[in-house]
Amino acid sequence: MSASRLLKIIVLSLALANVVMAAQNPAELEKDIGNNVYCMCGGCVTSLNTCPMQFCEVKEGMHSIIRADLEQGKTEPQILQDLVNRYGEKVLAAPPPHGFNLTAWLLPGVGLLIGLFLAITVVRRWRRPTAEAVTSAGAPPVDESVLSAVEEEMKKYVD
Amino acid sequence: MNQVGAVGLIAALAFAIYGMISGAIAGRLRSPRMLKSAQRAVLGFFAMTTLAVVSLEYLALTNNFHNSYVASHSSLALPLVYKIPVLWAGQEGSLLFWTWLLSIYVGLAVLLNRKKNRQLMPYIIAICMGVGTFFSLLTFSEANPFNQLSLATATGVTPYAPPDGNGMPPSLQYHSMVIHPPMLYLGYVGMAIPFAFAMSALLKRQLGDNWIRVTRRWVMVPWMFLGTGIVLGGHWAYHVLGWGGYWAWDPVENASLLPWLAGTAFLHSVMIQEKRGMLKVWNMVLIILTFFLSIFGTFLTRSGIISSVHAFAQSNIGPWFSVFLAIIAAFSLTVLFLRLDFLKTENRLDAVASRESGFLFNNWILLAAVLAVLWGTIFPIVSKAIQGVTVTVGPPFFNRVMVPIGLLLLFLTGAGPLLAWRKTSFQSIKRNFTLPLIFAAVVGGILLFVGVHRLYTWMSLFLCAFVAASIVGEFYKGARTRMKFSRESFFAAVYNLTMRNTRRYGGYVVHFGIVLIFVGFAGQAFRFETQGLMGPGDLLKAKDYLFRCESIDTGQKANYQFETVALSVTKDGHALTEMHPQKRFFMAEQEALSHVALHSTLAQDLYVVMAGRDPGSGKAIIHVIINPLVQWVWIGGIIVLLGTLLALVPSRMERQMADLHKNREALAEARHVS
Repeated sequence: MSASRLLKIIVLSLALANVVMAAQNPAELEKDIGNNVYCMCGGCVTSLNTCPMQFCEVKEGMHSIIRADLEQGKTEPQILQDLVNRYGEKVLAAPPPHGFNLTAWLLPGVGLLIGLFLAITVVRRWRRPTAEAVTSAGAPPVDESVLSAVEEEMKKYVD
Repeated sequence: MNQVGAVGLIAALAFAIYGMISGAIAGRLRSPRMLKSAQRAVLGFFAMTTLAVVSLEYLALTNNFHNSYVASHSSLALPLVYKIPVLWAGQEGSLLFWTWLLSIYVGLAVLLNRKKNRQLMPYIIAICMGVGTFFSLLTFSEANPFNQLSLATATGVTPYAPPDGNGMPPSLQYHSMVIHPPMLYLGYVGMAIPFAFAMSALLKRQLGDNWIRVTRRWVMVPWMFLGTGIVLGGHWAYHVLGWGGYWAWDPVENASLLPWLAGTAFLHSVMIQEKRGMLKVWNMVLIILTFFLSIFGTFLTRSGIISSVHAFAQSNIGPWFSVFLAIIAAFSLTVLFLRLDFLKTENRLDAVASRESGFLFNNWILLAAVLAVLWGTIFPIVSKAIQGVTVTVGPPFFNRVMVPIGLLLLFLTGAGPLLAWRKTSFQSIKRNFTLPLIFAAVVGGILLFVGVHRLYTWMSLFLCAFVAASIVGEFYKGARTRMKFSRESFFAAVYNLTMRNTRRYGGYVVHFGIVLIFVGFAGQAFRFETQGLMGPGDLLKAKDYLFRCESIDTGQKANYQFETVALSVTKDGHALTEMHPQKRFFMAEQEALSHVALHSTLAQDLYVVMAGRDPGSGKAIIHVIINPLVQWVWIGGIIVLLGTLLALVPSRMERQMADLHKNREALAEARHVS
């Protein structure tokens, strides 16, 4: 059996397994969707699964849409799209990653990278001449074990 | 009492304005007489806000529904213990409460600094009274809790009192809700004091090591309150809201997290300034940011500008806060800019592998966390302004963004203390990291063996093991060194070691508490839920547990009616416990609330909610959640609190340093007088 044929079988098996699992686990899928959308009743401002209101008609209506879609064999993205068509993008518990909403997802990562860059820049700018440079300028070399012992002492008493 | 409270409020405003002006003049002219006058204004401010608070509490306790605020937030049936929190149950009372707490903090700052920091005090008073002026003015003009109800009749306007009040939202009638808001407010308000210290130090060019030493303690106290408030809020959500979680990334929750994160960054980076005279500008920025975020948090909590589950405080105070936040930013950044020359770094970094770098990277992660939470929280407003569409930014966004940041932070929590100040050699890194990493690897292996295969959960528990081992190692090594020289027992050595440097070892205890909280977070990955309709005799299975409905009963208390289900629980065939989840209906408020039944162990919580009755069959809708490791979140929170208290205890070294500073100040004062 060629490698490409084996790969095809694996991919098909995984896809089938996914379909079968989705078909076997509508409750899990409903729970997952419920975590990814907000209840649109306007009273609770929580995800559909955590809406604490007892007879919330909106909540029940949303669950009905999800269950009906699941019965029709729709996938999670299709069900989410149905909910967006009905309630608008506000129903999604996280902004969909397109257009301006992309900035919601990108900015924290960009901030993290800029912060890392700044931290590294600060560390490099603040660094004293390296030990090698000092040594070459005439300072006596320090034995590594002595240095370690001094560090340990400093950690215990200087901090 | 309405008039007394109103008079107290306006008098407090007058004292705040006078204190602000006299403090500024005292600072400018270096006038001891003016300083004394400003200090008296602080006492007046405290006395008058206290009078206003006592008046409002009296009105609430005596069910005086002439008062509009009391009529809106209390009722005859409201139990006495919940009449005291009426003060912070609504907008007007909360702002008065804020003002009162500020008056206590400023009063304490004046009292504790009668004989020290004399040069800083005038501007500290001026700045705090400036903040006090804003809040008193806001309370007096926009959100006055002493407005009276009146009825317009043909003969004119007459005072009116409804027979009963609207009551308090049922979800607030819970014991941890009595202390959760005061804790948060103590945290928010308290950040005004370190901000005032920092600004005063800048204005007076007193930027030696004294102000930073004093300020650190003033940050630690509100930081502790804020952290405790956050954990109590989680505890309340877990026990009251009935969805089995404790943190939902709600904007108001995020608002409390932001200053806590910024304050945490300051508490770490301040050590670099104390030890090495570095990061002076950065520490100022962090103090400003922490205070700014505290006011921003109050603004988010009280304005209702963003949709939140805490929708009890929608109002029109937004523009007031926007102007105030702009003033804080403009004032503080201008002062900082003008004093940049006095904030030059005294030392250079000796090596990349050093404690200083560790703190720097810790600050990087904490600030990234601030940015991510802040951006996610305000994104709905930004989106509305730019694309005209309101989007929701909820748990899926925050979990995806914050979990990796949290894990990085957890790693640095363990790695930072293993690095030495100035320079850590490769050998030292190898020696210090080896045992914690081996321990973490063993734990990681066991986790894989028992079936923990989710990456984030595994990483979280792996890092928890690493950090815990590094903390235990620090105590062990320190104690062994003491035992060598002083022949103490191990426990005596640990005790003496800790008391010798409470700040360092208190910090380790705080880190250990954070580890336990992360263990609790990791447990969420194994949460199990099921739901069923239950009538007498019906069974519901949830993993190894079997629930049997014994009966469904109804009853009534002073302020609510309830339905309850008696459930007997067996595990693997053995009787375990009885649980009684309730559905309560609060008459005055016309609202229903689930009362969760809990059976908690260190391993997991059995969390049972009666969601209501099925209209068709009349059976109870029972929701069962098996929540692993949740108790560790609360235990971790308590340990963080204890660790902070320990770090606040002056160590022997600090007491000696304080004496030295006192003598120096006395000498300087004597020279100044002569």
